[in-house]
Amino acid sequence: MLNLKIALITTYPPGNGSLNEYGYHFVRFLRQKTGVAEITLLTDDLPEGQSYPTEETPGLVPLQIIPCWKFESWHNPWRILKVIRHLKPDVVLFNIQFASFGSKKIPASLGLLVPMLAKVSGYPTIVLLHNIMETIDLKNAGFNSNPLMEKLTRLFGTIFTRLLLTTDWVALTIPKYVEIVEKKYHTHNVLLAPHGSFEDSPALSLEAELAQPLQIMAFGKFGTYKKVEQLIEAFRLLQSENRPPLELVIAGTNSPNAPGYLEGLQQKCSEEKNIRFTGYVPEEAVARIFGEAAVVVFPYTSTTGSSGVLHQAGEYGKAVVLPRIGDLAEIISEEGYTGEFFEPGDPSALAEAIAKVLDNPERRREIGTQNYIAARGLPIAEVVDWYLLHFQALLELRDQSANGAALPQPSGQPSGQPSGSGITILDFGLGILDCMVAIALNLKSKIKKSKIG
Amino acid sequence: MELTITEHIVRINIIAPQGRIDAFCAPELRKQFEVLLGKNEIKFILDLSAVTFLDSAGMAALVSLLKAAREAGGDVKLVWPKEEAAQRILRLTRFDRVFDIADNQKAALSSF
Repeated sequence: MLNLKIALITTYPPGNGSLNEYGYHFVRFLRQKTGVAEITLLTDDLPEGQSYPTEETPGLVPLQIIPCWKFESWHNPWRILKVIRHLKPDVVLFNIQFASFGSKKIPASLGLLVPMLAKVSGYPTIVLLHNIMETIDLKNAGFNSNPLMEKLTRLFGTIFTRLLLTTDWVALTIPKYVEIVEKKYHTHNVLLAPHGSFEDSPALSLEAELAQPLQIMAFGKFGTYKKVEQLIEAFRLLQSENRPPLELVIAGTNSPNAPGYLEGLQQKCSEEKNIRFTGYVPEEAVARIFGEAAVVVFPYTSTTGSSGVLHQAGEYGKAVVLPRIGDLAEIISEEGYTGEFFEPGDPSALAEAIAKVLDNPERRREIGTQNYIAARGLPIAEVVDWYLLHFQALLELRDQSANGAALPQPSGQPSGQPSGSGITILDFGLGILDCMVAIALNLKSKIKKSKIG
Repeated sequence: MELTITEHIVRINIIAPQGRIDAFCAPELRKQFEVLLGKNEIKFILDLSAVTFLDSAGMAALVSLLKAAREAGGDVKLVWPKEEAAQRILRLTRFDRVFDIADNQKAALSSF
């Protein structure tokens, strides 16, 4: 039987950094597992006046929360590692994405070094990475508009992915992402651990429970790749048509990378009483917000990974309207979900897609039911079990190695190596090589262009 | 010479689903597992050779059986699916390293 001390580097409510909700639900179920002795969350510092919950619940695994990093700070690696070394956990798990530690390149990059440094320090380390650089549309995601900077960001993305891959496992939430990373980085220490749905088994929302007037709802952290201007335009179009009154609910806060975004919009829409901005939605209000909505809209300009909001919409059996961008349709269908799609950048196409769902209760139920079944297929409680099984396998291999047994290496997989031995000069070399190849390709294309010119 | 002969019979349940195991049919499979676990069965072979597709919800059903069986002191062995669409999730989740997987039922039986 495991008796694990787990250190989890994550955001956590009431902190409002990205992935805080995922962190909350993951920890909620991790605390219910046998085989876990102690959980310590290494979270971001809260603004003055706020504090993390401290009360202990009998019967649950003890939880300690240590705020030890800050979004955009250059000191995160030192602060986080100091705490890890003090805690001496059995395993270290990171719940992160590429911009978890900052929107600026240096703090973001420094934060992404921490998993590798934890591994080097001798701790079995798994990174749950919610997005991969290879599939992010940087321009539309609001990170870069300058093509040169975009190339540079991608280059650093490649280098930092390689460095993240020096940990024991990198867990990704979408099958295709695992295949992309395996192929590009010629690695096998990447695994699929799907997102999972947050709730245990909420009942399928009934049509009778829908708010009146019917609500169109968008949920999330807005301002970077989740933008609601076109949704507001589409809403106005829908209202101008001959149909009963509607309400647009924009539920959530600004993305940490877009301060002031929603406030600006709210001011512009202050005269429109049927557009409601809810602000931060506390956990206890999430079920009501989703339950009342007739349709959940994803006003995204880019995709950056498996959508937590989609899983939530599924949990409440909601019909969804999604942009036809990249491979989003393929990704959601791989997870068993479905929805109505629209061409991004065109408010009338968005209005049309919403209308197809709004005006057709049958279609709404059909999409909602499929999403409900998909969400129930894999609750996060079971995803947590998957991690525990991988932790166990990792520690068994480490023990075997410590006892001098030859490590099994099925399929030539490098994972499961004893702590601290997974990073070689080769990894750094490959990172530098990535860098040089990208610069060479960049120069080559510029020379070609100048010759053509 | 004294001779003690003991017969030791191990009950192993072989479950051989066919076709797709996805979010839509995984609940039915889970129900079957629960029935068997409820009868104190703890050793299983899941013969996936006739499974044509497996998704993460299907994988979750298999893992839930593994967890319950191991907690009760038993185990679950798998037989590799023949179809690539069914092998894919096993490989991507790396559960091919967590489960013992054999090429056929005979090999799986002998691994207990």
